[in-house]
Amino acid sequence: MTSADQPLPLRAPSPVDEADRAALARISGGELAALEELYDRYKTMAYSIAYRITNDATLAEDVVQDAFLGAWRNAARYLEGRGSVKTWLLSIVHHRAIDAIRRRRPTSELPDIDAGLPAALTLPDIWGEVSANLDAASVRQALVALSDVQREAIELAYFGGLTQQEIADRTGTPLGTVKSRMRLGLLAMRRSLEVGST
Amino acid sequence: MSGPDAMRNLTCDEVRELAGAYVLGALDPSEAAAVRLHLTGHPDGHPEIAEVGAVIPALAELAPVVEPPDGLKVRILAAAAADLAARGGAAETPAAAEAPVAPVAFPAPAEREARRARTTAATWVLRIAAVLAIALLGGWNLLLQNDLGAARQYEQNVTAVLDAASRPGSLTAVLAADGGTGSGLAAVDAEGDVALAMRDLAPTSGTAVYEAWVIAGDGVPVPLGSFSVGADGTAFFEASGLPSAEGIVLALTLEPGPGATTPTMPIISAGVAAAPG
Repeated sequence: MTSADQPLPLRAPSPVDEADRAALARISGGELAALEELYDRYKTMAYSIAYRITNDATLAEDVVQDAFLGAWRNAARYLEGRGSVKTWLLSIVHHRAIDAIRRRRPTSELPDIDAGLPAALTLPDIWGEVSANLDAASVRQALVALSDVQREAIELAYFGGLTQQEIADRTGTPLGTVKSRMRLGLLAMRRSLEVGST
Repeated sequence: MSGPDAMRNLTCDEVRELAGAYVLGALDPSEAAAVRLHLTGHPDGHPEIAEVGAVIPALAELAPVVEPPDGLKVRILAAAAADLAARGGAAETPAAAEAPVAPVAFPAPAEREARRARTTAATWVLRIAAVLAIALLGGWNLLLQNDLGAARQYEQNVTAVLDAASRPGSLTAVLAADGGTGSGLAAVDAEGDVALAMRDLAPTSGTAVYEAWVIAGDGVPVPLGSFSVGADGTAFFEASGLPSAEGIVLALTLEPGPGATTPTMPIISAGVAAAPG
């Protein structure tokens, strides 16, 4: 039985998780102060992600505004137990930022926003206690531990917004190899982060 | 898998192979749809996808820290306040929340275009009815409070706003309060002149003033001018030089003194300008 077959423990909600969920409930009731609270908590992370992906201050502002407005309007759609509010919110930021840069690339096929939530939103929050103490340094260390080609594939997808086919074209790598690099790279990161957190 | 064949039914092995690209958002739309379709038949969601997907939130930690500009918070809260006002102050109901509506930037061009499309002649009639209802209700509330002077003042102010609203090319906005009190009506004519009638505002004291703001397509709040409010809680305010465009947001903040260049939170009241179709 591989580790993937093992049921992973659900993450116990932290006080911040509880506060986030309470804020989201107030947002779904139309309370602006709750939106302000959530913004104050995640503005830096949200803007940092948006700026890293778009490399454009104005576009990053639009992305963050769009994401928080999306959360404001769709707070009632958030499903408890399907990831923390932080994960949900930052996934929206990531999704919007990728969408924004793909729109600037005329050859890109745009994602259908209505088709579904960003990938991470469809996943249960199974990161468990491992994620509770993650910081940038430990994640960076896990990324550095990957092979160069695995790291390149993950970064081009997550921060560059490239599809697997675009990564294959850009790096001159067979598509199947790109798929493997992304999957195995993420698995290696996970193992590294799990080990690092124990 | 890529291209036209992407929507065919995938095997479990193919989905496992695509797990990394799927959670990274690196599939094209048809491929991602095929994976989602496959997952609908797997209540466990394929453990392999959950396993690699759990790393995705951690990747966000890799972005170098960059602080957002101060004005962004104001933009977002103003847009949310305007959205709330456009909904008539009502919170989103669960039924409405389940509708397949994607979040859209406000005041983004697409949103303004959508609002324009939604504003039909019928909704214009409703808007006028709403304006009159609000005006009458506001006056009635003031009468209930035995504040006849305030009721008359508010009626005069609303009449002036409706006058402006009746000019060709004018836009109107219903300003709603966020939690507290302070609501009213505004009209922006084709020349960019605005008339604003407010009621139920907390009286100002000392150097404190209410500052009116307009937020156009660039999302930057521009001060229009300030006014003070007496004990009756009503106010009438006029300014010029606004962009006469649907979707602009009119907002009020309470400032420690005149001349504010950046709004002080919270937004007291806000509304979106709209026109007949």
